[in-house]
Amino acid sequence: MSTTTVAINITPGEHIEWHVFGLTLNGDTITATLIAGAIILMLGFFLRRGASARQPTKLQLAFETVTEQVENQVEGSIGIKTAPFVVPLAMALFLFIFIANLIAVVPTGHHPEYVPPPASDVNLTYALALLVIGTMHVVGIRKKGLRGYYGHLFRKPYLLIPLNIIEEVMKPITLALRLFGNIFAGTIMVALIAALPAFILWAPDILWKLFDAAIGLIQAFIFALLTVIYFSSVAPAEEGAHH
Amino acid sequence: MAHHPVLASGNFLVPNATFIAEFIAFLLILGIIARYILPRIQGPLRERQAIIAKQIEDSEEAKRKLAEAEQAFKSALTEAREEAAQIREHARAEAQRTVEELRAQAVEESARIVARGEEQLATQRGAIVRELRAEIGSLAVELSEKIVEQRLGDDARVSATVDAFIAGLEAHDNAQAGKQS
Repeated sequence: MSTTTVAINITPGEHIEWHVFGLTLNGDTITATLIAGAIILMLGFFLRRGASARQPTKLQLAFETVTEQVENQVEGSIGIKTAPFVVPLAMALFLFIFIANLIAVVPTGHHPEYVPPPASDVNLTYALALLVIGTMHVVGIRKKGLRGYYGHLFRKPYLLIPLNIIEEVMKPITLALRLFGNIFAGTIMVALIAALPAFILWAPDILWKLFDAAIGLIQAFIFALLTVIYFSSVAPAEEGAHH
Repeated sequence: MAHHPVLASGNFLVPNATFIAEFIAFLLILGIIARYILPRIQGPLRERQAIIAKQIEDSEEAKRKLAEAEQAFKSALTEAREEAAQIREHARAEAQRTVEELRAQAVEESARIVARGEEQLATQRGAIVRELRAEIGSLAVELSEKIVEQRLGDDARVSATVDAFIAGLEAHDNAQAGKQS
């Protein structure tokens, strides 16, 4: 009996790269993003054709459920009237991240995958987080003014000022890396399972992919929910008045 | 654009130019969802919510109307019952009055009939008495004459004569009574 050593070759962060005008683009991430976007837009436009108030289609009901959830969330923490723009933002984030994460379920057999879940690339999660936090700062400054908005960082006790600043700076990073970490971990799990012998790997693979789909849903929900919560801290101008 | 599977150089937590592409891609998706898709979801959603609200309102309105109608029905029923009782009472009183009236009328009528009968009887009696008075004189004279005539005969014949006279008187009386009735 000879012991066989299974060499597990996992290369995190490896991408199919495109080089355009001297810039390096992760082609697999972009392809997957475009596919996810195309699926959302296709569903959206399919929905537009059949949408009716009296006889809603199943697709319409699914979209309506998401919309209602987002609206309730926004209404509960900010008030739709105060920040109506948060609804499409949170909804787009949820739908996009959810569909993008579901892409992880589809294997291409290529290494690296042609269409990995795009959230397993920090470029996407940084972009989303930057958009959310950037918009948040813009809205905050517009509603409360530069002093009013950043004033809360510099209040007593002064000892906490550095912590306040760090918290503010960390917001986009935690938002981005939470999503990235979860989805990236999923791809690593798939790579580990793929290293198992072929006759057994299907069982953990099926289990993991189902679990991974659930993680994808939860992460999409968390990202959208955190977006709403972050906006709730800046949007209500009335609350800022008596601080 | 060429596919070059190469190992990521450096730290994979450091973004590259893909960041810009992803940012733009998501902005596009966000824009299309916000502008074209979301309104088409919210429109029918609001419409349906309005329809449901309207239906709830309608059903409440119907409930209210039903309650009103029931109330009206009940009050009409009560009113009708009262009216019926009143009519019954009225009819009973009317019947009572009619009975009393008829009874009084009958009593009056019978009294009148009795009075008329009495009056008739009295008249007849008067007439009979008068007639008898008129006849009794001549009868007495006639009797006296016969007695005198008989005296001239025998006593037996006298008594026979008296008997005959009385019989004749009775016959006359009977004839008179038969004429009366």
